[in-house]
Amino acid sequence: MTSSVDIATNAVSAGGPVDTKIAVHDFIYEHVMYHIAEADVWNLPFVNVPQLDIFRYDGVMIAVGCLLLIFFCGFFYKPNKSVQHGWANLLEVFVLFIRNQIAIAFLGEKDGRRMAPLFCSFFFFILILNLLGLVPLFTTATGNINVTGALAAITLGFMVGGGIYRCGVKNFLLTFIPPGLPLPLKIFMAPLEFVSMISKVMALMIRLFANMLAGHIIIFSLVGLVALFGLWAAPVLALVVCVYFFEIFIAFFQAYIFTLLSAVYMGQLYRPEH
Amino acid sequence: MTGIALASVGAGLAAIGAGIGVGTVGAAAVQGMARQPEMAPKLQVTALIFSALIEGVALFSLVICFLQM
Repeated sequence: MTSSVDIATNAVSAGGPVDTKIAVHDFIYEHVMYHIAEADVWNLPFVNVPQLDIFRYDGVMIAVGCLLLIFFCGFFYKPNKSVQHGWANLLEVFVLFIRNQIAIAFLGEKDGRRMAPLFCSFFFFILILNLLGLVPLFTTATGNINVTGALAAITLGFMVGGGIYRCGVKNFLLTFIPPGLPLPLKIFMAPLEFVSMISKVMALMIRLFANMLAGHIIIFSLVGLVALFGLWAAPVLALVVCVYFFEIFIAFFQAYIFTLLSAVYMGQLYRPEH
Repeated sequence: MTGIALASVGAGLAAIGAGIGVGTVGAAAVQGMARQPEMAPKLQVTALIFSALIEGVALFSLVICFLQM
């Protein structure tokens, strides 16, 4: 990261136009690759800030986990009140939506009620991480492939474990054999179905990661135009504001999509006859 | 620089494919909702799922473009 900062300062301070472009490209490329690959320290582009632990990926995640626990259990959870007020009322809308429209709709009444806390955790955890990524100085933990990989691994664990718990080992393995096909085709299709299950989870991982990363790269490149061309590119900041608001929508949408697709994939294995 | 140029072309091609796919999904969803307005909520959820799946394919290619850059 120090090398990329050097490259950036060199690019901004001196050099011909061609050199500048190549150097800024290298800087952007290193910043992006750093976002994908590494998770220990974090830098603002173009300026140096003190590296505090709270801005690291794991720091942000632990902070969000603690905040969710404190807020949901401490402040919002009032089992004696049948009608909630204030913030708890707002939360109730989200929680009811997740339970009724996602969990019960795709997992059935009994399993849906049981699994609703998991989907609520997924939704709020991803949503708040996404939104924190839009606050300056904080990093986007969901823009790192390790984080989304861990989240998708939880989904895979619940798919396999829940499928075995619900249907038994034999019936779980039978779900990989599509019914109503001749025998040679069944032998051919069974490995494909298995690969399909794994690739669904991989798709879940890459979808969230690439969506968050792509949005931030768009903002980063548009701001980078100002660094590249100077004040002549200042009007592009208006576009940045538009993209920023679009990113807020994307944050909600991706949290919703991750939760929804987890429920869909789990439902396929929990209710194989369906 | 050829790697960057090819990666850019690849990102553009991926955008074309995803655009066609999401456009088809959107057109079909709007048609379905116009014909049967009472089905609109179900159609919306289904359209969202499928557009997210298509978007996922486009984002795979985006990630591969990053790796090739």
